[in-house]
Amino acid sequence: MWSSHGGFESGFGGSSIGGGYTQSPGGFGSPTATQGEKKQRSRSQNIVPCTVSQLLAAEQVDETFKIREVEISQVVIIGIIRQAEKAPTNILYKVDDMTAALMDVRQWVDTDEAGTENVVVPPGTYVKVAGHLRSFQNKRSLVAFKIMPLEDMNEFTTHLLEVVSAHMSLRKNMTAPKIPQSRGSFGMAEMANYGSGSSVMNGLTAHQSQVLNLIKSCSDPEGLSLKELKSQLHNINMTTIKQAVEFLSSEGHIYSTVDDDHYKSTDAE
Amino acid sequence: MGDVHEGPRPRIATRHLAQHLGQPVCFVGRVEKIHPSGKLFILSDGEGKNTTIELTDPLDEEISGIIEVVGRVTNQATIMCMSYVQFREDKSAFDLGLYNEALKIIHEFPEYYPFGVTKND
Repeated sequence: MWSSHGGFESGFGGSSIGGGYTQSPGGFGSPTATQGEKKQRSRSQNIVPCTVSQLLAAEQVDETFKIREVEISQVVIIGIIRQAEKAPTNILYKVDDMTAALMDVRQWVDTDEAGTENVVVPPGTYVKVAGHLRSFQNKRSLVAFKIMPLEDMNEFTTHLLEVVSAHMSLRKNMTAPKIPQSRGSFGMAEMANYGSGSSVMNGLTAHQSQVLNLIKSCSDPEGLSLKELKSQLHNINMTTIKQAVEFLSSEGHIYSTVDDDHYKSTDAE
Repeated sequence: MGDVHEGPRPRIATRHLAQHLGQPVCFVGRVEKIHPSGKLFILSDGEGKNTTIELTDPLDEEISGIIEVVGRVTNQATIMCMSYVQFREDKSAFDLGLYNEALKIIHEFPEYYPFGVTKND
């Protein structure tokens, strides 16, 4: 939706910054992936939208920073440049996002490259900064790997929302049960038996998931009929069931067998 | 008055002015009117409500469109402006209504969008 600015190197996965950081396959996965293992120097693979106030308030243990027990390393902030100081090897910006005092943002300059990378962004410009959080002599700063002037100020509005969304998700992940399927609590006892977390995270709506799971569970050669689906899913009307079946069929999750009323799952169970 | 840029400046809409009397804030709105003296201008927020922005020194340029003001709320519920910035709209128009919705969210979840630094939340 928002214009892409040429993309980041560090595994952003999708072309747009706007959202999808928890779902993108590009190595962003939810922090709970490493919940069980306490690696000594596990580098967080996430990039988390933050406010300067959150970066300043993050707990620090040795070289790692944590917000709510979740390790943060790569972050994105959006703010306005208040000051820019050019030194031979780096540019030091002071970035303001209104949540706290100014944040030092250092951008290393490649002295071999011709001038294009080293253009100083003028004060008064709103920028999106992606970088690593650092602390030196008790002062926190960001080492930026990308500083992009905003071309569309609606990206700034998006950032406000992304920060809330990201930190809310991070908190939920810390308290969520380890078994993914417990989140798919559609109020039906059978649902809890169905496998590895495919209930919510596969891009299907609740109704589609319920229909798919029932079809998957059927071991008859002719599959499950629409009538049987309706009798098992009391809270869903026939039209919705038919729509779900059509969608699942066009996506390749199910196929019709003896007639258009009977379906089996393409996943071998 | 101190440098307001050294601390948190909550983002607010017109209806929040009364709760922030005397405090530094950040206000984003559309220019509605500029007083001929250049020492006062009116911004409307995403809900269409107006806020008066006062300046110690008169404006030395024409302003229009979306302005973000950093300043302190006076006892008359106007904002004494310390600095302002014009949002660029050369590539895309800024959706002020959407910004207002985002404000509601960040106000509803101050634990996920904190103004000010509190250790160990």
